[in-house]
Amino acid sequence: MDERLLVNQLKQGDETAFKTIVDTWQDMVYNTALGIVQNAEDAEDIAQEVFVQVYQSVNSFKGDSKFSTWLYRITITKSLDHERRKKRKKRFAFVKSLFGDESEIVIHPPDFNHPGVVMDKKEDAAALFNAIGQLPENQRLAFTLHKVEGLSYQEVSEVMRTTVSSVESLMHRARINLKKILEVYYKEKD
Amino acid sequence: MKSKKTIEGKIERALESLDGIQRATPHPWFFTRVKARLQREEKTVWETIGSFLSKPAVAMAGLGLILILNLFVLFKQGNLQEATNVANQPVQLSDSESILASNSSFDYENVQP
Repeated sequence: MDERLLVNQLKQGDETAFKTIVDTWQDMVYNTALGIVQNAEDAEDIAQEVFVQVYQSVNSFKGDSKFSTWLYRITITKSLDHERRKKRKKRFAFVKSLFGDESEIVIHPPDFNHPGVVMDKKEDAAALFNAIGQLPENQRLAFTLHKVEGLSYQEVSEVMRTTVSSVESLMHRARINLKKILEVYYKEKD
Repeated sequence: MKSKKTIEGKIERALESLDGIQRATPHPWFFTRVKARLQREEKTVWETIGSFLSKPAVAMAGLGLILILNLFVLFKQGNLQEATNVANQPVQLSDSESILASNSSFDYENVQP
């Protein structure tokens, strides 16, 4: 179905158009959020939030970029906001625990297993996701969009509002950092 | 040396582990949950009024208005009290008036059939 037509119908409050939009892009939004936050429940929550925002602020979409690019940007913003909130909560819980409040226990999440990874690669992928989580934000986003969502460098650059060469550079640095993190991880493990 | 090669191999395997990854999908009935969330987030009239009133500027203005009204009522009450006090001061009845009152009472109780 024509993207522009769908958006225009949604702008007029067409519920069927909204359903089509959700059905068409729910996997993309959910998978992107999952790649960033690495938690299925949180990713589902974020994906819902994204579509609620799409419904409420579709009028602000001017059509300068592709609709999917706009969706990616909302998803990334919401996922990063979610992570920041979570980190703040963790820090607060840690400070509380310093003052002897045992009710706030810091829970370390188990290794994340992406459901789309082939069975015999699950363990390696869990180690990689753990390393991705330690990358600087921009490198992490570029790597996740390219490797988990399968976007080309051109598409990643459009989503991140940057140039293709910047994405190439981000990917190169991400690989170097990932190698360092994984090296430490495997040395400790052995 | 062997260990270093093993680790390098593991790193390469990890970096390639996302090749051919499939998109993850949310649980079924995702749209229904989005709709429910949308309905929850749509504000009712009372919520809109509540959120307007809870704005600091509006709340402070409302509080100020209530204070002014209170002061106004208190001031008015004071004036009224003064006026009532003046009105309630014992009146010196003249003898004739007392007699008249007594008469009226008498008349009432002794109504002729």
